[in-house]
Amino acid sequence: MKIILLFLSAALVNNFVLRYFLGICPFLGVTGRIESAVAMGFATTFVMTLTAAIIWVIDYFILFPFHLFFLEYVAAILVIASLVQFLEMFIHKSSPTLYRALGIYLPLITTNCSIFFLALLIPLRGYNFVQSIIFGFGAGMGFTLVMFIMAGIREELDFADVPKPLQGAAITLILAGLLALAFMGFTGLIGV
Amino acid sequence: MNLILISVITMGGLGALFAFILSIANKKFKIEEDPKTEKILEVLPGANCGGCGYASCRNFAEEIVKGGASVNACVVGGENVAQEIAKIMGVKVGVTEKRVAFVHCRAHNGEKMKKAEYEGIKECGAADIILGADLACQYGCLGYGDCEDACLFDAITMVDGLPEIDVTKCTGCGNCVKACPRNLISLEVLNRDVQYKIACASLDKGKRAREVCLKSCISCGICERVCPFDACHMREELPYIDERNCQGCGVCAQKCPRNVIIEMGVNEWMKV
Repeated sequence: MKIILLFLSAALVNNFVLRYFLGICPFLGVTGRIESAVAMGFATTFVMTLTAAIIWVIDYFILFPFHLFFLEYVAAILVIASLVQFLEMFIHKSSPTLYRALGIYLPLITTNCSIFFLALLIPLRGYNFVQSIIFGFGAGMGFTLVMFIMAGIREELDFADVPKPLQGAAITLILAGLLALAFMGFTGLIGV
Repeated sequence: MNLILISVITMGGLGALFAFILSIANKKFKIEEDPKTEKILEVLPGANCGGCGYASCRNFAEEIVKGGASVNACVVGGENVAQEIAKIMGVKVGVTEKRVAFVHCRAHNGEKMKKAEYEGIKECGAADIILGADLACQYGCLGYGDCEDACLFDAITMVDGLPEIDVTKCTGCGNCVKACPRNLISLEVLNRDVQYKIACASLDKGKRAREVCLKSCISCGICERVCPFDACHMREELPYIDERNCQGCGVCAQKCPRNVIIEMGVNEWMKV
């Protein structure tokens, strides 16, 4: 039960994008088309889940026993960068079309602040190994969900008669704000 | 001391571990690329100007290997690069024509009339949006140098409110053509012996054209009448030179009362 609540908390109530305003660059950059947005979401979920697992192991088996708390940041960067590099190779091999669609945003997962935030949050919240993985996975799925919603609305927007001063980035940011307002409705649902 | 040692060992160990995993992954997920792509990429200028119609030089090289693009599509490299690529691909290439930018306006500052004061953004694009800003002629060169900014090869310099094109540096990539909000620049074949071009784009009637600019075509039609080869014809308010008939005699340029017909590549503002 607790696991499910943790998942829902990370995905909906404390959504990384709309609650903490993290990972805004892919949120605005790759949400033009649903396919690439969802692909980006899953790629980020993959990195988040694995980061959560690996960071937990590194934190609790290497860094904390040796009192190397100051190396947390370095370790997180190392893990995230390696994972993204791996993911990039994998996607380039398995789907060149997707690789081209994601473009620069794929290597930019490295600097996605939501993943770094996740890596730093895990020791702060004191999660155990399973909880960390669920937390990472939930955060990733929340990110994917928001990317999907945003891309869906933006695709519909192509046919809408947007006033000229609001076209492009302006209407996208208004959309993001409204979405964040809507997600505020989840506040208080789960007290985690 | 001990702390530093432990930090170095743990981080170094982690780094080495990840590097090892990545190197294995790199071998496993290696993508077989056609070696021709790399070879062609070495020959290409590498300016990523987009003149060939592809996003980057690499993109273009990949398309050539796939057979989607022709080997002489690189306008920047011209003849030599086309030959090199053809050698790599094992095909023969026809003669490529060198094309350069040509500006269809020759009114310098002082020759074009002003209708207002303009204190706004000094860019052609911005000036064109507000009805050409201070320029009275609605077809002429605004003179803020958007083309100069767009040129990747330093071939355009603004001289007295008009772009001057250095034909030796111009590669015909067409970035300036896209940059000009008034569509005054076109790409023209250079390697003919003599050819004459109309250096005015005004579609105003003669009277109005005369009022707004000293270097405008006033649609008098003299060029059409004097042409011995039936190559020059009036179309709307501007003459049009039919290159199939034109023998390059230059009578039209001599007789033009406004001097808007010029020989390409030899006049003072288009240095060769």
